[in-house]
Amino acid sequence: MGRETKYKTTSETQPFTASRKPSIREVLTSERYFKWTLLIPLLLILLIFMLYPLFYCIYYSFHEWGMQGKPIFIGLKNYKEMLYDRAFLEALGRTLEVMVICIAVELLIGLGLAMLWNREFKGQNIVRGFSLLPLLVAPLVLSLLWNFLLEYDFGAVNQILTAIGLGKVYWWSPKFALYTICLITIWQWFPFSVFVLLAGLRSLPRDVFEAAKVDGAPGLYTFRRLTLPMLSPLIMIIVVLRAMWLIRLFDPLYGTTRGGVRTELLDWKVYRTAFVVFDVGYGSAMAIFSLFFTIAICAIMYRQLMKALGVLK
Amino acid sequence: MLRKALFWLVTVIVLLTVIGPLLWIYLTAFKSANDIFTTELKKLIVFAPTLDNFNRLFTDYPFWFNLGNTAIISVVSTAVVMIVSLLAAYSFARWNTGGGHLLFVTISTRMFPGVVAALPFFIMFRTLGLIDTHAGIILLYVYFNTSFATFLMYGFFRDVPVELEQAAMIDGYGRMEVFTKVVFPLIRPGLAVTSVFCFIWSWNEFFYAFLFTRHAARTVTVLISSFWGSIEVQYGPMAAGAAIAILPTLIAAWFMQRYIIRGLTFGAVKG
Repeated sequence: MGRETKYKTTSETQPFTASRKPSIREVLTSERYFKWTLLIPLLLILLIFMLYPLFYCIYYSFHEWGMQGKPIFIGLKNYKEMLYDRAFLEALGRTLEVMVICIAVELLIGLGLAMLWNREFKGQNIVRGFSLLPLLVAPLVLSLLWNFLLEYDFGAVNQILTAIGLGKVYWWSPKFALYTICLITIWQWFPFSVFVLLAGLRSLPRDVFEAAKVDGAPGLYTFRRLTLPMLSPLIMIIVVLRAMWLIRLFDPLYGTTRGGVRTELLDWKVYRTAFVVFDVGYGSAMAIFSLFFTIAICAIMYRQLMKALGVLK
Repeated sequence: MLRKALFWLVTVIVLLTVIGPLLWIYLTAFKSANDIFTTELKKLIVFAPTLDNFNRLFTDYPFWFNLGNTAIISVVSTAVVMIVSLLAAYSFARWNTGGGHLLFVTISTRMFPGVVAALPFFIMFRTLGLIDTHAGIILLYVYFNTSFATFLMYGFFRDVPVELEQAAMIDGYGRMEVFTKVVFPLIRPGLAVTSVFCFIWSWNEFFYAFLFTRHAARTVTVLISSFWGSIEVQYGPMAAGAAIAILPTLIAAWFMQRYIIRGLTFGAVKG
């Protein structure tokens, strides 16, 4: 109870008399139920938009259905099929590869630039303003843009590379295309890591670092023993959020390879199976897999994330 | 001195890699077809500007109509989301309703892979005739943004000291009055920031728009994606369309600098 009992409430100022039943409005705004009243719209949305699709996705995943006629129950066959489906396993492997590469590179760039920019310098607001721009631009537009910039013959990047004597690169060759997609994604998202870590560095206690300096600790030692541990909650946030977003990378594929040249990722595979091939059952099974995959990753870091977000103490 | 030079060298390179590609959209938008497909290095930047791409975009394609769709869908879905999340976030922040678990359930909708929701909704919308309607895609965006907005607003509500509300209650304010007269004015900046974020997410969204709209409710991102066809790529109109379509997001990014990191981390990091 605690603080809630200390002040006057609607129900106390206008007590329900025994003879009169309280009106719905009175009940909804009474001290006891007001907090739930506020949640009604959200709970409705959660019910409709979370439970409904989840239920049906699980339902379809046990059936064979091509969007026509009646779904046929086939038990776990869709899930079994995933184990033997090479295209699916490859897509899964590639998704993991993209996740690892993007998160690692973004963190490295992020750490580097955050350390570099963690000082007062002229024009810092302009630098900050411009480097944050890509974060809010539609990923689809950016993927189309990069598809154009990285075109083999007339793409600006290859032209510049030729001019400085490095020669052209087949950005969209089967060998390289997946990394090119990583490159595009990193380009859009590295500012995220930079400024999360910069916010972290700014909030670190100064005296600890000064003490380390006075004690004559070498720079690298300070970094490894002081900076990194203190930044680790933020690094965790970056890893979790980026992993969540990267699992369902879709837009960068649509604007560039469309799943060709060995770049099919998990979400693309699900989309193709369900909406192009119309194998709803198998698509659902993969979607459910993708969901559990996400939950697994998040569960590992659930407590840390929730602590950082201030939900758990 | 050397350190300073190195600092600026790195900074300038980073800035160029960020700004260059974005600037490229605007350069291409004003280029003639010949200049777009040139291999002459000089012409990358020096060329005779033309409005051909914009003219073609406006006359041959329903650009303004699609942009209008995007605007309507973004505004309406943002409005609905804000009402829902404002109430819910207040409840979570003041009473810790559901002991944090309900809040986690809320945020986990954002972790749902888009396809999990896409399939059942596609089938449901087909039966209800909601495919290619504004109402249908607005519903999806409400789902898509509510959890995010609730979480962000939750952070802003927590910044309002409880003592303020207690003082108001001692002065005889009821629950509703405390909310409308004391808390609401204080979280107005947070409300603005959250709305802009929801607006941008809806504005940029592609996956659902691509699956659930055809003509009547087609959004501008879907139109732009259609220039990348299987036979030829219409770079000119594509760049012109992109140049206009990303303008609101660029402006928002510039003016919301202080809040971007806070928004992207659901309020966990106050950048």
